[in-house]
Parts: sequence; structure tokens; C-alpha cells
Amino acid sequence: MLEGARSRLKAWIVTGIGTAAAIAVAGVLGAFEAGHAQVPVLARAGPIETGQWLLQPVKAYVSAEKYVYGTLRKPGTKALVFEVDMTNRTAQSTKDYFDLVQATRPPLDPATKPYIVLTRDSTLSPELHPGMTERMAYVWELPEGGAVPASLGLTVMSKIYKQRDNLYGLPGWFNPSPVGTLTIPVAPDTGGQP
Amino acid sequence: MMRKLANLILLLVAVAFCYGLQISKPHYGDLIGPIPVRGKVGDTIVGRSFEVRAEKLEFARKLETDRFGETKVLTTGGVWAVVTVAFAARAESTSVAVASWRGPTGLTYDHTERLSFVNNGFLPVTVDPGLPRKARLVFEVSPAEAGNATVLISNKLLAALDSQAEISIGPVAVLSDGFPVGTVDTLDLSQPIDGQPK
Repeated sequence: MLEGARSRLKAWIVTGIGTAAAIAVAGVLGAFEAGHAQVPVLARAGPIETGQWLLQPVKAYVSAEKYVYGTLRKPGTKALVFEVDMTNRTAQSTKDYFDLVQATRPPLDPATKPYIVLTRDSTLSPELHPGMTERMAYVWELPEGGAVPASLGLTVMSKIYKQRDNLYGLPGWFNPSPVGTLTIPVAPDTGGQP
Repeated sequence: MMRKLANLILLLVAVAFCYGLQISKPHYGDLIGPIPVRGKVGDTIVGRSFEVRAEKLEFARKLETDRFGETKVLTTGGVWAVVTVAFAARAESTSVAVASWRGPTGLTYDHTERLSFVNNGFLPVTVDPGLPRKARLVFEVSPAEAGNATVLISNKLLAALDSQAEISIGPVAVLSDGFPVGTVDTLDLSQPIDGQPK
């Protein structure tokens, strides 16, 4: 009886120590830090490197022109435009830039999707080719009556390359994660595109 | 004791064998990839469902085309490479939708999407047996990747286990500014292709 209780106690202690050791090792290796790691603040001057892209922020402004880069502005809205020089760092033409920058705070809801235009000739979201820098405009809609924000907060996202994904065994870019946040002053509407 | 040792050795042999298989055998992505059919400019390359012959290669700094009756000029940060090709279907009607330009260093430039408003004479091209058609393939490439390139043409994206024409573009002489010899300033794409019935 007493013998049984002692061995049971011993078993409890051994498993307890084992668990504590495992948690401690995981903690040392950084398992609990990933969740609340601080996202760095990026310099506005750039360049910003993500997995696939090299970004050079240019400017942000509000426009009430009828056509913003060839696209008719919806009535009751004005356009918040963020222009950025983008260079494809991969070896393949791609248009994987839809979630590259995300608005972080008011007046833009992070869920609102911008449309993306090649400023060279207003083509909507074309593929960008390896190593060829192009100026792109991310255009969000703002309510026409609302105040013009003083600055635009953005989260820049990056992805990692996998030689073989788990589903098709093909190479690709996966697992988006934030690189940092960026704040760009917004130029007020000057009646045209600056 | 001997038995335990024999088991351990057997296990190690099995691990080594599996590792050997993993590193020496082609991966799934390679196995289901497109099947290349190679040729040069001027050769007729015969794939499973279509034939293609590259007839002419031109380089231009700017392209000009018509859009809703007005002239639209397309500029580029690199150089435009325009390949005039003749397509023919084999046994049944087919469409050819995908082309890319693979430079000598392996950089791959997909067919431009900036001409998607023009629907005649560019990809995607529908071809019927006995009715060959010509088309222009237009790529926006870096001047450094213009020579010794390969043009890849297939029916569709991810042409798994289907033939992909690979046309090798020979060496291209370059000028001191890095542009290929014979690069024209503006190439007018609204002109009909030579020999193409209207």
C-alpha cells in the first residue's frame, strides 16, 4: 500500500520535472515570443525589403479627380493614393502584391481592398517582371465628405519561399507575416494629381 | 545482443535507402511538369495539340497600338521583344494562351498583360486544323536578358504533362547602351502581320 503510493508519487514527480523541462526549453527557444513580437517601424525613406519585393515609398495624397489613373472614381468617394516603386526580386513575373501593404488604422478599415494600378499607363494590376522597377499606385476609397487624414498607416507584409509546398509539391511563396509598419504623410487634395 | 545489433543495422540501412530515394528521384513537381519540345527560330515545332514556328524577332523601345480609335503608346523600363509566330492546330481546334521569355540567367518574363485590351493577333489565339494563324508574342524584358533566351509557349498555365514549345533565340548583338542591335524606337502593332489574311 505504502510502496504503491511511493512509486506513484515518484512517477508524478518525474513527469512533472519532464514537463517543466520541456516548457523551459521551448521558452528558451522562443516558442512564446512569436505571438507578441513587436513589429518594427520602417523608415519612410526606404528601401523596404520583403521576400518578393523591394519597395521604395514615394508619396501619398488624396485626389478628387474624375479619373484616378484611368479608373472612374465612384460617386460620393474620393481616392486615397499611395505611390510606391516596386521591384520584383524573384526570378519570375508575378502579381502577388495584393496583400503586400495593408492599411492599419482609420480612416481606412484594414478590410478595405485597394485597387492597384501601373502608373506608367494605368493598366490595372499587371504582372511585374523580374528586376524591372515600376511605379505602382494603391488606391483606396474615402467618403467624399470626410476629413482628409494627415497620414496613412500601412503594414508591409512579406512571404517566405518554399521549394515544395505541401499540397502540390511545387515552389511558391507562403505564410505572410508583417515586416513592419510605415507611416506616410498624406498630401491634401490640390485639385489634381501631384 | 547479436539480434539487437542486427535490427539496429537493418534500421540504419532502411533509413539510408529511403534518404537515397528521396534525394535521387524526381519530385512530384518535376514529374507532372510540361514536356518540352525544342527548336530554333524558323523551325516548325510540333507539340501534342499545336504546331508553332517563330518567324521574326523584333525589339522596340516603345509600342504603338490602337485603343478605341486612338493611338496608345506603351513605354517600358526595359525593352519590348516581339516575336511573330505562326500557329497551326493538329487534330482538333485548340487555343494557345500562355507564353513566356526565359533569359539566359533563368529569369522568366511572362507575356505582357498591358496589351489585354487588344483581342486580335495576340494571345490567347484560337487555331483550327488546316487554318493556320499568325500572332505576335510581346514580352517586356530587361535588355540584359534579350540574347540567348528561350520562348516558352503552351496551351494553358500549368501545362501539366502537356507539351510546351521551347524556341531558342540565338545570341543577339548589343549596342553600347545595352540595347539589342536593330532595336527600333517605336513598333506599330496596329499594322497587320505579314501574310495574315484580314
